[in-house]
Amino acid sequence: MASSSPASIDPARLQSEIFAVGRSITAAQDSHAGGPLRGLDEAAIGLSTRDHELRAALFRLVDVTPACRNLDDLGSHLGSLLEEVQDRPVPLGVATRMAHTKAGRMALGAAVASSVRHLAHRFIAGESPAAALGKLSKLWSTGIGSSVDLLGEATVTGAEADHYAERCEDALGELARGCAAWPERTVLERDSAGAIPRVNLSVKVSALTPLVRPEAPALGRDDAVRRLRPLLRRARELGAHMHVDTESLDSLETTREVVLGLLGEEEFRDGPSAGIVLQAYLRESPAELDRILAWAESSGRRSPLVVRLVKGAYWDHESVEAQQHGWRIPVLTDKAKCDRNFESLTRRLLEARPLVRVAIASHNLRSVSHAIALNRLRGGYDHDLELQVLRGLGDELAWSLADAGFRVRVYSPVGDLVAGMAYLVRRLLENTSNESFLSEQYGGAPLEELLVTP
Amino acid sequence: MTGSAALPAFANEPTLELRRGPNREALASALAALDRRGPFPVPVLIGGDPGSSSGIDSTDPGAPSHLVATAGVGGEGDVLEAVRGAAAGARAWSQRPAADRAVTLGRAASLLRERRLELAALEVRECAKPWAEADADVCEAIDFLEYYARGAIDLERGRDLLQEPGERNTMRYEPRGVAAVISPWNFPLAIPAGMTAGALAAGNAVVLKPAEQAPGCALRLVEALHEAGVPPAALALLPGYGDTGATLVRSPDVQTIAFTGSGPVGLEILRVAAEVRPGQVHLKRVVAEMGGKNCVIVDADADLDEAVPAIVHSAFGYAGQKCSACSRVLVHEAIAEGFLRRLAGAVEVLVVDQAERFGVGVPPLIEREARDRVDGYASEAGSEGRIAAVGGPLPGEGWFCAPVVVADLPPVSSALREEIFGPLLAVDVVVDVEAACDLVEALPFALTGGLFSRDPRTIARVTARLPVGNLYVNREITGAMVGRQPFGGNRLSGFGLKAGGPDYLLQFAEPRVVAENTMRHGLPLE
Repeated sequence: MASSSPASIDPARLQSEIFAVGRSITAAQDSHAGGPLRGLDEAAIGLSTRDHELRAALFRLVDVTPACRNLDDLGSHLGSLLEEVQDRPVPLGVATRMAHTKAGRMALGAAVASSVRHLAHRFIAGESPAAALGKLSKLWSTGIGSSVDLLGEATVTGAEADHYAERCEDALGELARGCAAWPERTVLERDSAGAIPRVNLSVKVSALTPLVRPEAPALGRDDAVRRLRPLLRRARELGAHMHVDTESLDSLETTREVVLGLLGEEEFRDGPSAGIVLQAYLRESPAELDRILAWAESSGRRSPLVVRLVKGAYWDHESVEAQQHGWRIPVLTDKAKCDRNFESLTRRLLEARPLVRVAIASHNLRSVSHAIALNRLRGGYDHDLELQVLRGLGDELAWSLADAGFRVRVYSPVGDLVAGMAYLVRRLLENTSNESFLSEQYGGAPLEELLVTP
Repeated sequence: MTGSAALPAFANEPTLELRRGPNREALASALAALDRRGPFPVPVLIGGDPGSSSGIDSTDPGAPSHLVATAGVGGEGDVLEAVRGAAAGARAWSQRPAADRAVTLGRAASLLRERRLELAALEVRECAKPWAEADADVCEAIDFLEYYARGAIDLERGRDLLQEPGERNTMRYEPRGVAAVISPWNFPLAIPAGMTAGALAAGNAVVLKPAEQAPGCALRLVEALHEAGVPPAALALLPGYGDTGATLVRSPDVQTIAFTGSGPVGLEILRVAAEVRPGQVHLKRVVAEMGGKNCVIVDADADLDEAVPAIVHSAFGYAGQKCSACSRVLVHEAIAEGFLRRLAGAVEVLVVDQAERFGVGVPPLIEREARDRVDGYASEAGSEGRIAAVGGPLPGEGWFCAPVVVADLPPVSSALREEIFGPLLAVDVVVDVEAACDLVEALPFALTGGLFSRDPRTIARVTARLPVGNLYVNREITGAMVGRQPFGGNRLSGFGLKAGGPDYLLQFAEPRVVAENTMRHGLPLE
């Protein structure tokens, strides 16, 4: 590993390398001109609309779909939600009128149900790990790895936490069995630190315990640890990777304590491979990285901790909650500042290797290009940097990065299509409103703008 | 409220971010310091002169042998002296311009702000209020002082009237005189602070009779107000039991009675206040905020991931000892089974423990009688219906009740009709939202209510139908914020003009209208 200091990289040289990388990625991307149905999906569900009211109404519709009892009920909700939109495009005005009759509602309900299911296929890899294996295997053969995320309702009871843990255990077994026959893909299976597991499961602490309480991290920690410990043992047996997702700031301390506490135990010194998430939009993310690195230094684990750097998906939640309480907003509200912080954390993470493995999870072309360019200029190997995207939103980026020989992993939700889609809308899409990768993706900005220094 | 030129716009006092470790540590050390200092005296305080401070033992509900404070008991003579002193104090205090009174209340708010950690600790000890709620209560007390301070300035401006040629019409608000404030223990700082600050802001003097379970908190409030510059004569503290309050209510020189507490006591106050006694020259005005039987409606399209935790918090937070707490859920039959299963599971994992433990779900009840009463309701409900969940285990010491969810109750069950004021939640299954609204409308109470629905039309329909004073949609039904959710009930729950709202001070004022003839014969009109 090269050890040139940050100061030794000339900014102009870095910028020109970033442009070179960015150009090569987008060139590859043009050859993957999206699925034929993509435009239809987005129009149907309002993902790409710039009308916030309409988009909110359609998100709410997806959100309530699993709770609707029948097509009539679903059509009725559509009509009701659209009434709240001030300026309805013509077809939606027609839909609102249709909702006045039962036959109309049934027809609308059927249309919505089919749209949601259709859309769900884009975002959700399968109803179960077994059902998703086909898609995951196909991705693997094109040089793209996955991290499976099991969708489900929120955990509010002990039984739900137990059930989630069981699903995780089953998923580990199912995925391990399924991937045994996959062809070898060196770029996905090895870096300078050694072997990289094929099976990669992302889990949420808030699903492993009903006791996450912001004011009592120890309470949720102890209950989650009880369920995560057997999962880590199972992952070690199977040679799988366990990644613990970070959620809202309310659970940050709990999550950190669960992960670092358990992985620091003697019994997990030699495995499994495991990881944590760092959210660049948090003002305190540099200090959070300090904590992670200090831990990594002292843990003595054989397999380096994987740190997935993300921008963070709870922007609206964090801002609104802080404003309602009169607290300082804990996330960076300025996009450029957030992007600069992402790059600064990227740099620190790259420099921290081999203490950690680095996964850059972003759909922002500049952030991704910057990580690749900086790694190269620092003398690092491409295969010592992992890039991650979300299924359904970063597919094209994944394809082109894989074509260019990078290790790419797609974060792949798995679960009931309709309920899972509602979950994704609630937890993910709504929280990315203005700063969204969607607006970046569909804004049609020229490459030079997308790659400019933040 | 528009605020005033002299003071910055009102903003709610931020609660502590308890997700930050250093904030939690600061609170824990404030509690340790309070414990080290030991019990303190709460005297009868008239004209600034401390009197007796014995007669009431204020103890820790989680450790009843632990004494937090000892308080005096205001007797008939004390009441007489306090009210007489307050009548004189009211004249001086009311002469001050509203802006001066506002600055004084603002100073008291600053003092509470400086002392917020020890005040929260005191609430934990004296009332077993868990940290988050104790801290929020201190913030709400600060909010009331700041909000009504601004209201005083608005009130002084009076109202605009129609003006015809040859006359000048003015309408202004004058203080009513002496206000008796009778406060409960469940919001031991915020509620006495709100009623006291409202009366003071409008230029009245106050005799405060706090609940016997929370005299220590009341003393700290009175100290802050005196220190801030409220004249001792304008604010007396009369700790005591019900008798002290009853004597105060009867006093002919009390013009306004501001009461928050139970329905029976409120109705008794209304009855007594209606009798005119020798020497009495005012009709007494009663501001009464009483109990509720608060229902949350869960429609078939509700998001249970949100509804279940919100209902659990509304029903079991502070062991259900809030007038706004949820005590009944009306759930659509299509989702009733799954809802009940999840609700039961969520209640079973609640941590039943001392208020000082971070993460506690159900703290002890305020006193033995409360515990026995709630246990009585629970066993009665258990024999009439089906117990769907019981939480626990219970710690060895303290007035703990297990949180209970009960279903399948017959319509006549008292658990469906009476205010229980404890951790007992009844669940009814309804055929639809209209049926749920019928049940809510049939109740004599109308304080808070809740609705979980994801259909804007349902929300509009239910909003139009329910008579409750505060309806919360897709959120918990407790935690009203000053200036944002003015709070108070209708029907038998009270007829106050919403605490923390723009109309509240009107209750402590009497309007006076002056019409002056400006016509001068032989002089042209302008």
